[in-house]
Amino acid sequence: MHRLAFQYSMKLFLISFAVIGLLSSLASTSASAQNIHTFSGSIKNAETGEILIGATILVKELKTVGVSSNAYGFYSLTIPEGKYSFVIQYIGFRTRIDTVLLDKNLTLNFELTPEAIRVGEVVISAERSNKNVTSTEMGVKNLEMHEVSTIPVLLGEKDILKTIQLLPGIVAAGEGSTGFYARGGGVDQNLIMLDEATVYNSSHLLGFLSVFNSDAIKDVKIMTGEIPAEYGGRLSSVLDIRTNDGNMKEYTGTGGIGLLASRLTVGGPIVKDQGSFNISLRRTYADLFLRLSSDTTINRASLYFYDLNAKANYTVGERDRVFISGYFGRDNFDIPNTFGFNWGNETATLRWNHIFADNLFSNTSLIYSNYEYSNNVSAGTSQFTITSGIQDENFKTDFQYFMSSQNTLKFGVNAIYHTFLPGTVTATSGSSFNGITVPNRYALENAAYVSHELEILSGLKINYGLRFSVFTLLGPAQISSYDENGDVIQTTGYKSGQIIKTYTGVEPRIAANLLLDETSSIKASYARTSQYLHLLSNSVTSNPSDLWVPSSNNVKPQYADQVSTGYFRNFGDNEYEGSFELYYKNMQNQIDYKNGADLQLNPNVEALLRYGRGWSYGAEFLLRKRYGAISGWIGYTLSRSEEQFADINNGQPFPARQDRTHDISIVAIYNYSEKWTFSAAWVYNTGNAVTFPSGNYQLEGTRLVPLYTERNGYRMPAYHRLDLSATWTLGPKTNLNFSLYNAYDRMNPYAIYFRRDPNDPNKTQAVQTTFFPIIPSVTYNFTF
Amino acid sequence: MKMKTASAVLSERLLLFLLVAAVAAGCQQVVSIDLNKADPHLVIEGNITDQAGPYTVKLSKTGNYFEPALVFPTVSNALIVVTDDQGQTDTLKEVTSGTYQSSTLKGVAGRTYSLNVIAEGRSYDAISSMPKKIFIDSLYALVRNASRGEPGYDIYISFKDPPEPGNYYRINARSSAAIPADSIDGRRYRVYTDKLTNGNEMAERIRAGRNVQTGDTITVELLSIDRPTYDYFNTLRDVLSSDQAATALAPTNPNTNLSNGSLGYFSAWTIDTKMIIMK
Repeated sequence: MHRLAFQYSMKLFLISFAVIGLLSSLASTSASAQNIHTFSGSIKNAETGEILIGATILVKELKTVGVSSNAYGFYSLTIPEGKYSFVIQYIGFRTRIDTVLLDKNLTLNFELTPEAIRVGEVVISAERSNKNVTSTEMGVKNLEMHEVSTIPVLLGEKDILKTIQLLPGIVAAGEGSTGFYARGGGVDQNLIMLDEATVYNSSHLLGFLSVFNSDAIKDVKIMTGEIPAEYGGRLSSVLDIRTNDGNMKEYTGTGGIGLLASRLTVGGPIVKDQGSFNISLRRTYADLFLRLSSDTTINRASLYFYDLNAKANYTVGERDRVFISGYFGRDNFDIPNTFGFNWGNETATLRWNHIFADNLFSNTSLIYSNYEYSNNVSAGTSQFTITSGIQDENFKTDFQYFMSSQNTLKFGVNAIYHTFLPGTVTATSGSSFNGITVPNRYALENAAYVSHELEILSGLKINYGLRFSVFTLLGPAQISSYDENGDVIQTTGYKSGQIIKTYTGVEPRIAANLLLDETSSIKASYARTSQYLHLLSNSVTSNPSDLWVPSSNNVKPQYADQVSTGYFRNFGDNEYEGSFELYYKNMQNQIDYKNGADLQLNPNVEALLRYGRGWSYGAEFLLRKRYGAISGWIGYTLSRSEEQFADINNGQPFPARQDRTHDISIVAIYNYSEKWTFSAAWVYNTGNAVTFPSGNYQLEGTRLVPLYTERNGYRMPAYHRLDLSATWTLGPKTNLNFSLYNAYDRMNPYAIYFRRDPNDPNKTQAVQTTFFPIIPSVTYNFTF
Repeated sequence: MKMKTASAVLSERLLLFLLVAAVAAGCQQVVSIDLNKADPHLVIEGNITDQAGPYTVKLSKTGNYFEPALVFPTVSNALIVVTDDQGQTDTLKEVTSGTYQSSTLKGVAGRTYSLNVIAEGRSYDAISSMPKKIFIDSLYALVRNASRGEPGYDIYISFKDPPEPGNYYRINARSSAAIPADSIDGRRYRVYTDKLTNGNEMAERIRAGRNVQTGDTITVELLSIDRPTYDYFNTLRDVLSSDQAATALAPTNPNTNLSNGSLGYFSAWTIDTKMIIMK
């Protein structure tokens, strides 16, 4: 099985290299024909040697010409011969202006110096980037790590997944949840990638924290609207997380001690300016307190999570660089002789950057990712263990061809071999349980894409592309078909490697930008996305036991079409960035469950699903200030998300659980003095759509049973919360962070349930559970 | 077996509970919620057993959620007919308001029974098959190990699941003295499938706790039920669990075998009963 996937990947690899050979020869001839030259290179942080992602280079003399560094810090720009002033910008760094005589192809590596945030400093306005206005990107937001580290979150643990939930178009799936809904899509419709490896479960402690240790992370980008053709496999969003490469110049370390967890990061050069490494470790220590208990059950119990990010890179010559990175994380919860469960992700990425020509960049990656869950239960003499998970072996190669200053071509291929492990029960002998294995499923998910960004006319830029995806469910497998009652009609056996079912997706992606003037533009986009993997969960909270299942003869792929349009405008010499976007998204083959569906360990789980349509539309407003002593943003989303299933709610549309009519977030960061930084975040959203009973009846003479009528016909009370944080810089290398979660102690409902009134058994009452009242915390951070 | 997967979910919930308890002890409050008043729905409860008749079908109606009636409205003057696949037909008689009883019908394992109810101008149907009878092999009680939870008894019921798959059970346990009289451990709907235990010797534990004292007589019934009945009680149990109500995607009414939007169930089951006196 693995051999097949490998052979297939190799074939793709060879084909793509043949294509590339051809293109690169074309590239060099066309460049030398007229007096046109390419300058290319990388943009780095002068202090650490870390590459900068998304730094911009503008050519002063050619007004509309500019380029951004890609995910590996590489840029390339082909322009006529001449003497130029290049303006190199990156937020948080001192802008650099270099004058260069371009009379041949040049390699220019730029280093930018981080700008210490100084109070009251006046930044020269002309140097602020207006990239948000000029690019074709829509529904795309970058988070800067300094924002992530200042914005208050639960228990002082900075967390990127909590912070992106403060952006318009993205809402938390629940109180204290790392799961999120992007423009009305489900939690499984987000492609979450850590150094290109898919992370299938992004939660620690059942969702209170994400698996991403902010100290290890360099760049975070979320795409909810125009999803570029290089990304696929999920309907609603792509969260692209890139980790730090490690300091190229000297050994450094950072760390923090918090109430919940401590973390430590060390990094440094392997060979100065050629190779570096970075290792980040984080662990909770709640379980250490359990040891102090005199109760033998409690002091032998474990309750912890840890995660480790490790990365190394090495530059080989002028044109090649290799990266190896890995993530290992695990949550463990165990009460001896009773039960235990643990889950975790592992990812490993091997990457090779190669510059074929000054204007042709490539990256090739081999990626492994694994998620597994296990649950042990001891009941007297009966003991058993349930395990489940998913594994990916992934090959991808991507090319970026900078044809001219008006033309950029991207293309690539991707092949993923998925192994789904729906569940195995291992029982001890003498147990009344039989061991059971729900057979694994195997699938190959392939895609090829091409996209072309070009400036048609001065001020009109379009980026159009096509992604073609093919999903094949492969044997060995026993595949059943089901009748209406979910009973098996027929079962067919397939041999190893035999094709069971193939689905394809033709996914056009188009975005256009019409620049009205230097500070405003109108954009429009259309994207079709396909999703072949589905997360089955029978609870509103994301559980570690939630199952990923492949599309099959019974389960159809999900497809979505999204159109969006927006007006982008900057104010005050680009000090304020404003945007207003409208979107409509239609989603096919959305999944719901039959009543009483038992999703775990069920070989016939596909019989328990039912399918419908979902749609979502809304308006997003964002005003962001990225410069100065006070920075932050105000975001507001007005939206609706609905679903329709033939046999739910009498076939009538009902609000999806992602539906939040109003969603407001206000974030402010104030650099008050050299010693103090303050920040505040306030969120408000309409309560979740929920199903409450509309009546009552009696069974077996005494028992009261609730009567349900319309699906999601009720609303939870509105959710709102203010978080505050203050960072006190003790010295050049240490600071103390104080934070207050839920500062005005709002009793936000996590759930509402109904019970008999303890004082009057004839009455029923509604009880609201709140997870987090006001919670203060303090964290000590240091660098060395 | 449902219990196993339930325990997996349970352990997660328990961790969730512990986490919540740790950070938000006592963050529960009674709130007032405005609920719609649904139009009254018909509720049908009927069963046929392998014991001697008469068998009962009850008709009632739903009420408002927050103001449950002490006595729910009953539905009189309905025409109720039960037939089996061997040609027996019995028209039930209303003995008290909303309660109808058979006169000639005799429940036999292996037969399929059909119910037709015509009430207030609408007709409702259901079908149920009475499975093969399964007998209780033994019933015994053990004093619970004091170090694990509250003192009391664990009562074990053992029976042999037949070799062929697709058997479903319901177990009822009552105490002569327990309060409430109909349940010794608060679990009312105890249903099982042989999904993970096919063909095995089964020993199900009933945690009797403090409700059972020395000298009490415990009656345990093993019901052999068909798949729709299992589905009904299994989904009913979900509906009644407040834990489920708090985190379920969207609670719905239990899966019923009754047609035409009626609530409740119609079931044919066999019963084997054993008693034990606690020593």
